[in-house]
Amino acid sequence: MVKSKDVLLEIEDLQIQGYSDEQWIDIIKGVDLTLHRGEVLGLIGESGAGKSTIGAAAMGYARDGTRISGGSIEFDGMELTTATEEEKRSLRGNRIAYVAQSAAASFNPAHKIIDQHTEAPLHYRLKKRLEAQEDAMELYEKLRLPNPEEIGFRYPHQVSGGQLQRAMTAMAMSCRPDLIIFDEPTTALDVTTQIEVLAAIRDIVDEYNTAAIYITHDLAVVAQMADTIKVLLKGEEVEEASTKEMLDNPQEDYTKSLWAVRSFKRPQKERPKNDVPLISVRNVDASYTGGEKVLDDVSFDVYEGMTVAVVGESGSGKSTTARVITGLLPPSKGEVLFKGEPFPPDYRNRSKDQLRQCQMIYQMADTALNPKVQISEIIGRPAAFYQGLRGSELKSRVDELLDLIELEPSKYYNRYPPELSGGQKQRIGIARALAADPTFIICDEVTSALDQLVAEGILRLLDRLQKELNLAYMFITHDLATVRSIADEVVVMQHGQVVEQGPKEEMFKPPHHPYTDLLLSSVPEMDPDWLTTLLEERGVDNVGEAASSDIDPDAGKVQGTKI
Amino acid sequence: MGDILGLIARRLGLGLVILFVISIIIFFMVELLPGDIAQAVLGQGATEDNLAALREQMGLNKPAIVRYLEWLGGAVTFDFGSSIVTGERVTGLIGERFMNTLFLAAYAAVIAVPFAIILGVIVALLRNSIFDRVANVLTLTSISSPEFFLGYILILFFAVKWGMFPAISSLSQGMSLGDLLYRTFLPALTLVLVVTAHMMRMTRAAIINLLASPYIEMARLKGAPPWKVIVKHALPNAWAPIINVVALNLAYLITGVVLVEVVFVYPGIGQALVDAVSKRDFPVVQACCLIFAATFILLNLAADVGAILTNPRLRHPK
Amino acid sequence: MSLFVIAYYTLLLIASCLAAYFNQRSAFLLVFGLTLISFIVGIVGGPGALAVIAIVAGILALAAMVSYAFREFMIAIASHDMAKELRTAPLTAAFGMFIIFTYAVAGIFAPWIAPHGEAEVIASAFAPADDNMLLGADQLGRDIFSRLMYGTRNSVGLALAATLLAFIIGALAGLLAATKGGWFDQFMGRFADVIMSIPSLIFALLMLSIFGPHIHVIIIAVAVIYAPRVFRLTRAVAGNVVVMDYIEAAKLRGEGNWYLIRREILPNSTAPLVAEFGLEFCFVFLLVAGLSFLGLGIQPPTADWGSMVRENATLISFGDITPLIPAAAIALLTVSVNFVVDWMLHRSSGLKEK
Repeated sequence: MVKSKDVLLEIEDLQIQGYSDEQWIDIIKGVDLTLHRGEVLGLIGESGAGKSTIGAAAMGYARDGTRISGGSIEFDGMELTTATEEEKRSLRGNRIAYVAQSAAASFNPAHKIIDQHTEAPLHYRLKKRLEAQEDAMELYEKLRLPNPEEIGFRYPHQVSGGQLQRAMTAMAMSCRPDLIIFDEPTTALDVTTQIEVLAAIRDIVDEYNTAAIYITHDLAVVAQMADTIKVLLKGEEVEEASTKEMLDNPQEDYTKSLWAVRSFKRPQKERPKNDVPLISVRNVDASYTGGEKVLDDVSFDVYEGMTVAVVGESGSGKSTTARVITGLLPPSKGEVLFKGEPFPPDYRNRSKDQLRQCQMIYQMADTALNPKVQISEIIGRPAAFYQGLRGSELKSRVDELLDLIELEPSKYYNRYPPELSGGQKQRIGIARALAADPTFIICDEVTSALDQLVAEGILRLLDRLQKELNLAYMFITHDLATVRSIADEVVVMQHGQVVEQGPKEEMFKPPHHPYTDLLLSSVPEMDPDWLTTLLEERGVDNVGEAASSDIDPDAGKVQGTKI
Repeated sequence: MGDILGLIARRLGLGLVILFVISIIIFFMVELLPGDIAQAVLGQGATEDNLAALREQMGLNKPAIVRYLEWLGGAVTFDFGSSIVTGERVTGLIGERFMNTLFLAAYAAVIAVPFAIILGVIVALLRNSIFDRVANVLTLTSISSPEFFLGYILILFFAVKWGMFPAISSLSQGMSLGDLLYRTFLPALTLVLVVTAHMMRMTRAAIINLLASPYIEMARLKGAPPWKVIVKHALPNAWAPIINVVALNLAYLITGVVLVEVVFVYPGIGQALVDAVSKRDFPVVQACCLIFAATFILLNLAADVGAILTNPRLRHPK
Repeated sequence: MSLFVIAYYTLLLIASCLAAYFNQRSAFLLVFGLTLISFIVGIVGGPGALAVIAIVAGILALAAMVSYAFREFMIAIASHDMAKELRTAPLTAAFGMFIIFTYAVAGIFAPWIAPHGEAEVIASAFAPADDNMLLGADQLGRDIFSRLMYGTRNSVGLALAATLLAFIIGALAGLLAATKGGWFDQFMGRFADVIMSIPSLIFALLMLSIFGPHIHVIIIAVAVIYAPRVFRLTRAVAGNVVVMDYIEAAKLRGEGNWYLIRREILPNSTAPLVAEFGLEFCFVFLLVAGLSFLGLGIQPPTADWGSMVRENATLISFGDITPLIPAAAIALLTVSVNFVVDWMLHRSSGLKEK
């Protein structure tokens, strides 16, 4: 790739303020950024780091409730902080384009895709309508959209999410801009869909030698896309280096913590012999009222003291399985056994003791804890409810639980959830589950909303608790790294069916069911050449939606053969 | 298209069912009276003979369900029986008045709807400016004022102090349209003031809601000038909320009209209703209630159908 | 008279220059804008029109000063958290709170404030104001000012009672429907749809014609009409809370509906519900005033603002504004409540965006 070295975008000491609680608060505190023609810069950081705000500022755009309060933004010799609205507008869509996170929400539902595509070239009088439409079809073809001649004449809601995201990339390309801002373009997509969008974006940016700012929180993704990576933390720059150097040799502690490949891995446990499984899901079918079947003949066992990971993409039925076990969604066929005894299908018919045995930890600690209730009551309520503890007994039980989750009781006893950090909230969620003194806990994506380091702390804690209290876990996750570190057994689900299950070590070794294979290979790895290698191995037409729709869940079902 | 027709048919069906349930409520609520209607109308001092005669005249000797079916059957053909106070046919009593009321409501709506929507859009575009804040205070004040307060203020200034318009809207046969519009100007203006404020606020809220959508930001980031963002990107999606706002406020007009008619002594159905209520003339009350409720339901129905027809997702199904 | 005009413009220009000098952009625009408008109005309407502008501006300035002082007063006596909230209140909201406070005082202490009895005839019909009667006498020769004071009690009290009843019924049903879901939720939703399909004033008239204009009939009729509206809103507010995982966790723990409502849902819905109470109060107050105006509300001789307007309406054709005073009292209270509600709604929606 040949790159001319002229500077395209130069941001110096950028400061942006946001309006909240009746005052202006700094959200970007002096960030510098230099982007050359044809270069792709990855902006990464956690939510709240300000990456998206910087992306918008690169177009001279401040979202409602924010304002650029200092510094300079120079785009190809033009100072955007002092430019008139008119001048800035003439750049947007023309020389700088934007690709948003949710394509489904960012396409106007009232117009055809191609009309939205040709809006900018027609507005800037770069092309005639027919030319612009032909160009659009050409771009659709390059981005490997099915039926490029026809797809543009559909309305946005008639096209799938992965395709819309590519159509939006095509739209950004419509005026052949110098710079495109990609704002988390694949975050809302499943891993298998993500691949084809990533491949399409990378190809087209290469082909037209467009410079890009690629905003994401996913390190593995940015490693595939960017030449240079800049790490942000709370509105300030941590460090910047070329992708290779950043991956091999990060300088700052914060970056190192992000990069740290999960070091935690515990040995795989074997099933106890001649024992009844603690939870046994038997041939369960389930559907929501009047809808299609969401679960189709799902069966698996969870043994005492063991961890079973349930893996699959959105819509695969893994969360529905959890709802069937907890009794929120009674199955239409099949049953759930607890220690060999059938569990009443509806939670309302379960006894207090049955409810106590099976607890749940949620993905979003924010919505899992009542913001208006004190920590002492959140943790204390199950103990009071199930064991009837009162007064000083209750207090000492709460203290004991807080100790167990490594939070100091006196400091947290009287606080409210909004005052805690994400990791602390998740720990309170764990304590609430433990307070019931259960034998089985369902962990629903418990680490996916957390940063790498915090997530690892939670996994270690869960592992320690499992050993101390002999708990069984069902881990619902889409993150294979989590599966690698904590699972004993793995269940892979697709379209409501179990396509493969077995002990972890064997699951990561071929031969796989084709879907497991696709899923495993689609998860981005922290290697800049991963995408290139994968596309070479599988071929561009054998990834993503195209590949997954070819797979018949029943084909080569390997269930049971490995156990 | 099949989907849309199905949806509209279902919505129409629902409207009919609601109207039917309301007719039951209106009819049988009168049956809740302690004693019976004849007793209530004639009072404690009525003789048995008088009561019997009235019962006979009103058909009270038949079971309630039969009377309901007869009443409903009549209502479908706009025959609501006769008044128990004057003995006149109810239809003759309120038919012309209903047209007068419709005229007044239409007069107010024709002025208020375009005015309020345009102002609402402008205020939404200038949100948080000083203009927006002043408009907020003014519309809140207007909404908070009872209709009779606004009406009397207008009478005080326009009729009594400046003598520009008549305080009482006396209508007569064969008036020219210009004369009609002149004589009914003050009641119409009162309605306009109240409804415009409501409609402006709701339009503003609907537009601001829409302007927060990601596709509006996308349009801005594609370099579309502000007028184009509004006309091409916001407006096609704004029809449903705007239609809703209009229908809701036209429905509000119907209620407001009763008070305004009393203030201006306007010969409309609202006046008739109030008179009938104080005289406990139940057939007239029931007829008026049914007419008002039917209009109300019809407007809501029209709004929902309009929203269905302008929804791009429904117009172009997968 | 010309002295007044000179003083008028001099004052405005000094104020404009001061505002401009101290960089108060909006204040400058306001004052100078007023100056320019005065030029035009002054030429068209003469010094009289200018006097009207000066009086209106003076009243607005007075209202602003009262609001400002009242807000500072409340901040001074409130607890730390409350004071922080109150500092965000715009002047309009402070004005609203001041008026509500004044009405509360007038309503509670009416017998001590009013110089004459509620139904006491002390003068001839429509006697003009004098030392004894602040606002003159009504159509039966009763003191209008005294009746106004008593009216605060009756009109506001009735509306408050009716709103409370509607709120208790509607909010309970809404919370229960959100918690239980299923057929109960469906049925209540449909039922509310039907009631809400009858225009409120019309429905009230129907019920009053059948059961007669008694106070308890009015309260129950208003509750029946407004409970479905409260139900709708509570159902929506609670619906947003019910989907939270902590509710699911509590359900799976085996908690009963009453615990869910009391401990989990209510603490998270108080802010919108309080705002809604204010809003509903305004609607109810206007509806009850409308009924009284039509002669179907509180029956004489009990003093009530709506009927006071109706009884004295004939005076308007003589250019007398007395009958407008009770109407203005109604409007002022509704505006005030609306100002406060507007601020509260703005606060709660602002918190959501964060």
